[in-house]
Parts: sequence; structure tokens; C-alpha cells
Amino acid sequence: MRLRKLTLRHFRNVGFAALELKGRQQFLVGANGQGKTNLLEAAGFLTALRSFRAVDNKLLVGHGEHTAAIVCDLEHERQGETKVTIKLRHDGKELWCDNARVTRLADYLGKFPTVVFSSQDLQLVRGSPAGRRRWLDLTLAAMDAGYLRALQTFTRALAERNALLKRGVTGDAQLTAFELTLAPAAAELIRLRMAGLKALGATLKKNYAQLCDDAEPVGLVYDPNFAEASEEVLLARWAAGRARDAQFRTTLVGPHRDDFHFSVRHTAAKDYGSEGQQRSLVLALRLAQAGWFQEKSGIRPVLLADDVLGELDLARRRRFWAAIDPESQVIATGTSLPDAELGTWQVFGVADGDFTENTTTTEANA
Amino acid sequence: MTPAFERLQKHLKQLPGLGYRSSERIALHLLVEKPGQLPALVLALEEAARAVRRCGRCGNLAESEYCAVCADDRRDRSVVCVVEHVPDLVAIERSGAYRGSYHVLHGKLSPIHGVGPDDLNLAALRARIEAGEVAELILALSNDVEGEATCHYLTEHLPAVAAGRSLSVTRIGFGLPSGGGVLYADSVTLKSALEGRRNYQ
Repeated sequence: MRLRKLTLRHFRNVGFAALELKGRQQFLVGANGQGKTNLLEAAGFLTALRSFRAVDNKLLVGHGEHTAAIVCDLEHERQGETKVTIKLRHDGKELWCDNARVTRLADYLGKFPTVVFSSQDLQLVRGSPAGRRRWLDLTLAAMDAGYLRALQTFTRALAERNALLKRGVTGDAQLTAFELTLAPAAAELIRLRMAGLKALGATLKKNYAQLCDDAEPVGLVYDPNFAEASEEVLLARWAAGRARDAQFRTTLVGPHRDDFHFSVRHTAAKDYGSEGQQRSLVLALRLAQAGWFQEKSGIRPVLLADDVLGELDLARRRRFWAAIDPESQVIATGTSLPDAELGTWQVFGVADGDFTENTTTTEANA
Repeated sequence: MTPAFERLQKHLKQLPGLGYRSSERIALHLLVEKPGQLPALVLALEEAARAVRRCGRCGNLAESEYCAVCADDRRDRSVVCVVEHVPDLVAIERSGAYRGSYHVLHGKLSPIHGVGPDDLNLAALRARIEAGEVAELILALSNDVEGEATCHYLTEHLPAVAAGRSLSVTRIGFGLPSGGGVLYADSVTLKSALEGRRNYQ
């Protein structure tokens, strides 16, 4: 997939911008706080209708504005030339695909893959389990409607069960009714997470070896809150835990408390990994995500590199560049232009939410 | 606007599906544009409020003790189709495909919205089963988490059937709409249609 034109209106600090993207490498250059990342955020929104940094979509609508719009003109492997229009309001969003309204997320998800590389990615190694779960759910749900369905059912049934516990409902009848709905979805989630992390971990290992010359063995390790993907065992566990759940007024056991960790030399990278190892791990993870999207959907994801190239030393930058798919479109940001050896970029200068194309190429600047 | 007008508008706004603008429009229409129709509407409201109640057997709308379906002797009372709301019943009636009787729950279990078993029309259903008049229960509840949980709850808490009688419980099928092709069905529908396939002929 290639992004050919990106049009934004009232999106964060961008009043209006229309960027014609040519070739496969675009670079947005400008000082901090000018709107470079906002543009990547808009492009990344295309994949799952979620921002990679804001949890609340309200933050995306420009200050004092009512509606924000993102319009993407795409060259797509399956659908040819396609236009996707996303309208964001404070109270919701509206999605149009080639002039047809899309109302079901399941019909849309996974068709337009992008992968964001961001400096915040380190939080995937160091941060809370919630961030990792969010990443995992997004990655798996984008390519598997069954996973999305199981996740939606599980989330809804869990909220109902927790509401029962919060109300202090005594008696098992109603709890059982919702547990019977919860169990198949939970078992499905555990099974798909196990399989997904195994596949992603294998690719991560390969990518890591490419990024770092002396490759120590790395991997992704699933830390399920409850390891058995069986409906009967889950049902028995919830039934046995009801008294404790009632005390805490919430469901204590289940895939909503799952986690995974990165391992280096069979130890947790969060605790024992060096800064450099952690950085390489998240890069390798994002590359694995891109590979996963391409393998599952047959569509080449657009890579969005937010200030990542500047953070790497020269050797790592070269190896990173060698590791990415040479056919993928890359849209990168930075405070200064990248080295000439990373190819020819189409450069846009960014100042206060305005984007202007620099007609001089990177090679002339270098 | 006047205080009385605002009171009216406030009450209209509380009706389902009406916002500030539409309630204002309706109030203006009633009072200013077509005031001649107002007495008839008031009368109809009062009459309906006085006459319409729940059927004592199934919970459907009725004007006497039993609703039109329950009062009809040609309907098969041993087959009971359980639905969430009256409009669901109306939809099934419109299809003309069903000759049994109904039971309207007036909701589904949803602790989030504060709906528990006591808020549903369950006691009457239990009484019907205990009386031994029911041979088949068709669960026609919606295909979501709450509908599913309500089905579980119902089936786990069926009263004992009188000796010598049996009760079969079925769930309405979920699948392709008629006249619709496989191509245009969404993945969830296709999945349940495949799971619910049956022998040809």
C-alpha cells in the first residue's frame, strides 16, 4: 500500500494541509512542536481508527473546532486507487471508503495497515502491562476478525460480570449466566494470543539479529494470567473464585490481566536489558508487526518513523535501513535531514502546522 | 417561550429518540401549526393509557385480560417463542411463519444498565411451564452478550416440568438474510451461518 495524498483539516494544530506524496520515501523536517508527529498520527489513524499516542480521540480535533477530517488517497494492492475519509467529532467518528459509509469496524479493520515507529515505543518494554495488551490486541485484531469478535464479546461480558460484582449481587445464578458467555471468548483469546506471540516472537528474533551484529537470543514470552485455554477449566476457576471476586468487587482472573515480556538471553529485558538492547528490541518488534501485517493480509504496510532515525547511531541506522522491506513506503520525521546514504527523500518543511515541499532533494542538501 | 410551552417541551424531550430540536418542533406543531388536532391526540393518549396493559399470560400488549394472540384458540399454546420486546413479537407476527404463542420478557439481563432477573417478566413464564402447558420453548433473543446470558439464565433456571411431560428448548437460527448472497454477508454472520448449517433435505 502506498499513501499518495494526505489531506488534513482541523487536525490538532494543522488547520489545513494537502500533501502530494511521490515515490516511497518522505521526510518531514522541522523544529520541535511544529506538527510533524501530528501528520504521522493522522496517517497511522487509518489502520485501526486509533491514535498511536492519544487514548481519547477528542484531543485530535483542533482547538475550538467542531470536526476534524483526514482524507487518504491510496494505491492499494487489492482495491487499486482508493480514497478513505475519516471525520472526527467530539462525540464520535464517521468513516467513508470510496464514497460508501462504513459502519462496522470489522469490515474495515486490517485493510489499510500502517506501522508507527516512535520513541514512545520503549514503553512497550518498560511500561505497564496495559500498554502491551493494547498493542497486542490491536496487532492481532487488525488481521483476524475472529480475534476482534472474541475480544469484543469478552470485554462486554466482563463489564457485565463486574457490574454484578459492584452491585454486590448475591447468588450465583446471574454470575453463571455471564460466565458461560465469557468462557468461550476468553479461551479463544488465550489460544490466539499464544499463537500470535509465538509467531511474532520468531520474526522478532530474526529482525533483532539483523539489527545487532552479535545477536544474543531474544524472544517474546506470553505471561498469561490464566494459562489454560479451556472453557471448562475457566468456568471452574471463576466459580471457585466468586467469593474473592465479590470481596474485591471485580473479576480477578482472566485474559484481561494478561501480559507478555521481552527476553534477552532468557532474562527479562525490562530488568536486565541495556538501553541499547531495549531500543533494538522495540525496533525489531515493530518490524515484526509490519511483517505480520503483510503476511496475514498480503498488503504491504506503510512505515511511519517518528524521529527514530535520529536516535540511532550511524551503524544501527544503517542496519535498520537494511532490515526494512525495500518496497515499503516510509514516511519519517526528524529535526534535521537524514544522511544521503539512506536514499532520496521527498522533503517537506514543517512550521506551525504548515507543510511546504522543499524542491531541493536530500542529496543536494547533504 | 412561555413556561407552559417549556414544560411540554421538557416532557417531549424525555421521549426516546427525541432531542431538543425535534421536541421543540413537535411542541410548536401541536400548539401553533395544527392546534385543531390536539384534542383528538389528548383523547387518544388518555384512552390508550387507560385501556392498554400487559397480557396476563405472555406480557404482550392487551386491552383485556389476554392479548389477541393468547385469546386466539387456533394458536398452538404448547409452543412458546420468547422475545425481548413487543416490537420483536410484532416482527415475527408480520412474517406470518409462526402459529405458536409468545412470551415477552420486556428486556434482557444487563447488570450495567441495572436490569436483573426481577425486572424481567419471568414469573409468568415459570407459571406457564409449571402448569405443564409448554412443550417447546423457542429462544428468539438477540445475538449479543446480554441476549446470550439471558438464554443461559433462562435454561439453567427452568422449573421442574410436571411428571410425564418433557420440555425442549431451541434457539432461533442466525445466518444469511434471504435473497442475500454469501458475498455481502459480514464475517460474523457468515461464521454463525456456517456453525448453524444443517443437513440438506
